[in-house]
Amino acid sequence: MRGADYFIKRFVFAVVTVFVAITINFALFRLAPGSAVSNLSRVPHATPETREALKKEFGLDKSRGEQYVLYLMQLAHGNLGISFANQQPVSSNLTTALKNTVPMVLLGTLFAIVLGTLTGVISAWRRGTATEGMTLGTALTLYAMPTHWLGLMLIIVFAGTLPTGGMSDEFLINPSFTEHMQDLARHIFLPALTLGLVLFGEYTLIVRSAMLETLGEDYILTARAKGLKPWAIVRKHALRNALLPVTTLIALSLGYIVAGAILVETVFSWPGIGRAVYEAVLQRDYPMLQGAFLVLTVSVVFFNLVADLLYFKLDPRITE
Amino acid sequence: MRKTSAALLLLTILAAGCGGSSSSSQEGGTFKIGTSSRIDSLNPYVAFNQDAYSMFEYIYPTLVQYDKENKKFVPDFAKSWSTSADGKTWTFKTVSGAKWSDGQPLTAEDAAWRINTDIKYKDTGAANDAGLIAHITRAEAPDPDTLVVHYAAPAGNVLGQFQQYPIIPKHIWESHTGHKGNDLKTFANNAPIVGAGPFTLDSFKKDQIALFKRYDGFYGPKAKVDAFGLRMFSNDDALVTALKSHEIDSIEEVPPTSVKTLSSAGFAVNKIAGVDQTDFIINSSPHKTSHPELQNLKVRQAFDMAVDRPKIVDVVFLGAAKPAASIIPSSTGDWANPSVQPTAFDIDQANSILDGLGYKRGGDGIRVANGQKMAYEVITPTDLHSANRTFQILQPDFKKIGVQLTQKALDSTAAFDAMTAPNGKYANFDIALWDWVALIDPDFMLSVVTCDQYEGWNDSGFCDKSYDAMYSKQQLTPDQAKRRDLVWKMQRYLQTKKPYLWMATLDHISATSKDWTGLVDSPQGPFNSLSKISLSSVQQAG
Repeated sequence: MRGADYFIKRFVFAVVTVFVAITINFALFRLAPGSAVSNLSRVPHATPETREALKKEFGLDKSRGEQYVLYLMQLAHGNLGISFANQQPVSSNLTTALKNTVPMVLLGTLFAIVLGTLTGVISAWRRGTATEGMTLGTALTLYAMPTHWLGLMLIIVFAGTLPTGGMSDEFLINPSFTEHMQDLARHIFLPALTLGLVLFGEYTLIVRSAMLETLGEDYILTARAKGLKPWAIVRKHALRNALLPVTTLIALSLGYIVAGAILVETVFSWPGIGRAVYEAVLQRDYPMLQGAFLVLTVSVVFFNLVADLLYFKLDPRITE
Repeated sequence: MRKTSAALLLLTILAAGCGGSSSSSQEGGTFKIGTSSRIDSLNPYVAFNQDAYSMFEYIYPTLVQYDKENKKFVPDFAKSWSTSADGKTWTFKTVSGAKWSDGQPLTAEDAAWRINTDIKYKDTGAANDAGLIAHITRAEAPDPDTLVVHYAAPAGNVLGQFQQYPIIPKHIWESHTGHKGNDLKTFANNAPIVGAGPFTLDSFKKDQIALFKRYDGFYGPKAKVDAFGLRMFSNDDALVTALKSHEIDSIEEVPPTSVKTLSSAGFAVNKIAGVDQTDFIINSSPHKTSHPELQNLKVRQAFDMAVDRPKIVDVVFLGAAKPAASIIPSSTGDWANPSVQPTAFDIDQANSILDGLGYKRGGDGIRVANGQKMAYEVITPTDLHSANRTFQILQPDFKKIGVQLTQKALDSTAAFDAMTAPNGKYANFDIALWDWVALIDPDFMLSVVTCDQYEGWNDSGFCDKSYDAMYSKQQLTPDQAKRRDLVWKMQRYLQTKKPYLWMATLDHISATSKDWTGLVDSPQGPFNSLSKISLSSVQQAG
C-alpha cells in the first residue's frame, strides 16, 4: 500500500513538472529578443502585407494568452505544429533528428557507464596505490578536456582510417547489409568515443566517491573480518550500497540522451537534435523549440521517475 | 540511338579504366563536394541558403543563364528572346521536345504557369520569389515553345531576374496551391525530385548529403560525370581533413586559414574575387533622435577615413580579400562603378574634419558633440565570423579620432530586431557591422537601401526619396547601357551619403583534388546558381 502511495505521489509530481515545463518553454523563447516574423519576412521585396500575412499564418498576430491556449489545445491532440523554418511538421523534424542522435549518444553513454563504473570501483578499492593514481588522473584529465577539442584531435589522429564526419558513406553503391553495418560502425565510432570518454571521467569520479564512502562503513569491516573474498565484498556489500548516487547519475544521463550532444554533433557533422535545437534558437522557430524541449522534459521526468522507483527497490528505508 | 551512345560511353569508361585511353581526361565517376553551408530546403518557395539555389540551378530549367565569364546572359531553356517596341512584352522561344525526368513534356506552359501562380500568391505562399516577378502582369504560352511575358512598364532587369527563377513542373506543383497559395510552402518536394536540368536530385538527407545523378534527357549539353554529391559539414577543420584524406574531391568554400595547408598538400586552390562584402553601418534613419551628429556627412567622412581597410584585409582575412568601396562589388563586372574607390586610411585628416566641426575632446580624450560624448554602441551579429577581429581593429583607430566604440554582440535575429526597433523605425541603434552577399545583377543590392525595404532587407534605416526614384528608374530602363549609367550614379550617390562604409570584399576560395579538372569558378564558387556550366564540365583528369 505504501508502495502504491509512493508511486502515485511520484507520478502526479512528474505530470505537474511536465505541465510547468511546457508553460515555461512556451514563455521562455518569446521573452528572448528578436521575433520569428522579422526573420521570416526577410525575403526580397516583402511588403508590409506579406509580413502581416506571415504573422497571421503562424498565429503570431494573436495575443500571447491566445497563442498559449491554442498551443495547449494542439498539444492535447498530439500536434506539435509546423516548423517556421522549413515548413514541415515538427514531429517529423524531431523524429529524424532523434533517430540520428539517440544511437550515437546512447552508445557513448553506455560506454561511459560500464567503463566508468568499473574504473570507479577499482580506483576506490585500490585506494593509495598507483592504480588509483592512474585511474583518477585519467578520469580527471578526460573530464576536464573540452569535448570539441578532443573530437578534433581524434579526427586528425584517425584521418584516412576513420571517416571525418557524417553518419554513413552515401557514395557507397548498393552496399550489402554487412558492408552497410560496417560503414555505420565506422562512422559512429569516433563521435560515440568522444562523448564516452568525456562522460567516462564523470562516472569514474562519482562511483569512486560513493564507493569510498561505503568502503568506510562498519559492515565492510565486518565482512573483511569474516574473511570474505575481496570481490565478494565489493559486489555484494560495497557496490550495492554505493548504487544510489550512481542510479541518479545514470537516470539523468539517459534522460538527457534526447537532448543530443551539440558539441560532438557539430564537430562530427552529425545531424542530431542538439544542432537542430541550436538552429531553431537562431531562427526563433518557436514550434520546433517547444517540441524539442517537450521531448526533453518528458524524457528527463520519465527517467527520474524510473530512478525514484528504483530507489524504492534499492533502498528499503524509503518504505519505512 | 541513346542505347548506342550509352554502350559507347561504357566502352570508353572501361577502356579508360584499363589504362587504354590516351586522352588527358575521362568521363564518368562521382564528384564529391564538401561544404560548410547547407541546403536548408528542397522547396524553392521556402529555401534561403545559397546552396539550395545552386541546387535548383542544376535540377530545374531557367530561361537564361550566365556565360562562363559570368558576364553575359546565354540561352538555357530559352533558345532566344526578343522584346516589343514599347519594352512591355518579352517573348522567349523555348527548346522543343524537352522532357521532365518523369517523362512528362517540359514546355513554355510550365514557365507561364509558375509566373502566373507566383503573381497570384505573391503576398502569401510565393513571397520568396515575389521580387523576381515584380512588374509582370501575366504570362502566357501561345504554343508549347513560346513564352510571352507582359509587364506593366518597360522592365530593365528582365534577364537578370529570370536567371534566378527556376521553372518547376506544373504537373507536380499545380495540386499544391491550396490555402491561398500557402500549400506551395508546405509541399516538402522530397527527393527524388522531378527535374529537367543536367542532373536530378536522387537522394537527400538533411544536413548530411545531397546526391545528384546525371539526367541523360537534359535538353542541353550532357554532364560528363555520372553523379555528384554535396556533403555537408558543420565543422571547417573536419571539412579540410576530409579533403586531405580524399574522402571528398573538392571544398566549395575554403576558410582563409587553410589555404596554405591545402596548397602544400598538393590541392588546386583557386582564389577569385567574390561578392561577399563586410560593412560598417551608420544608422541613417530620419526617426533617430539621439546622436544627431551621426547624420552629418562630414562626420561620416571622418569615420570612413578611420577605417584601416588594408589592415582588415591582412589581419582579419589573411589577405584573401580586397578593400571595398561600393555597394556593388567589382566582381559583378561592368555594374561596379570604377570611379567609386575605397577611402584611404588617414587618421590626421579624420581628426582635422572633426576638429573643424568644433567637436572638442573631453578629459578622457573622447570628443563631445551636441553636448553628448561621441560614444557609440556597435551591434555585431554573432554569425559574422569576421566581426570580432574587425571590431578589434576599428576600436583603437576610432579612439585616435576621439570616438569611443563599444561592441554589443547579438545573434542575427536579435541584432536585426535591435536595429529596426522600435516598431520598424530604426530609431535606436548607432552603428552596426554586418555583411552583404551580392548577386551579379545589381537590382537586389540596390534595393536594400530603399524605403520599401524597411523591416525587410533594409538594415541601415536609409530612406531617401531621390534614391528611391533612381532605383525605380533603373528597374524600368530596358537599355542596359543607360541602366548601367543609372546604377553607377546610384553608387556615387550612396558613396556621398554613406549609410554604409564598405570595408572588405572577400575572395571566394575553393580547393579541388588534382584528380579532377574542368570546374568553372565564379564569384559564388564552382557550385553556384549562375549557370549549369561548372558541374556539367567537371571530369576526371587523365
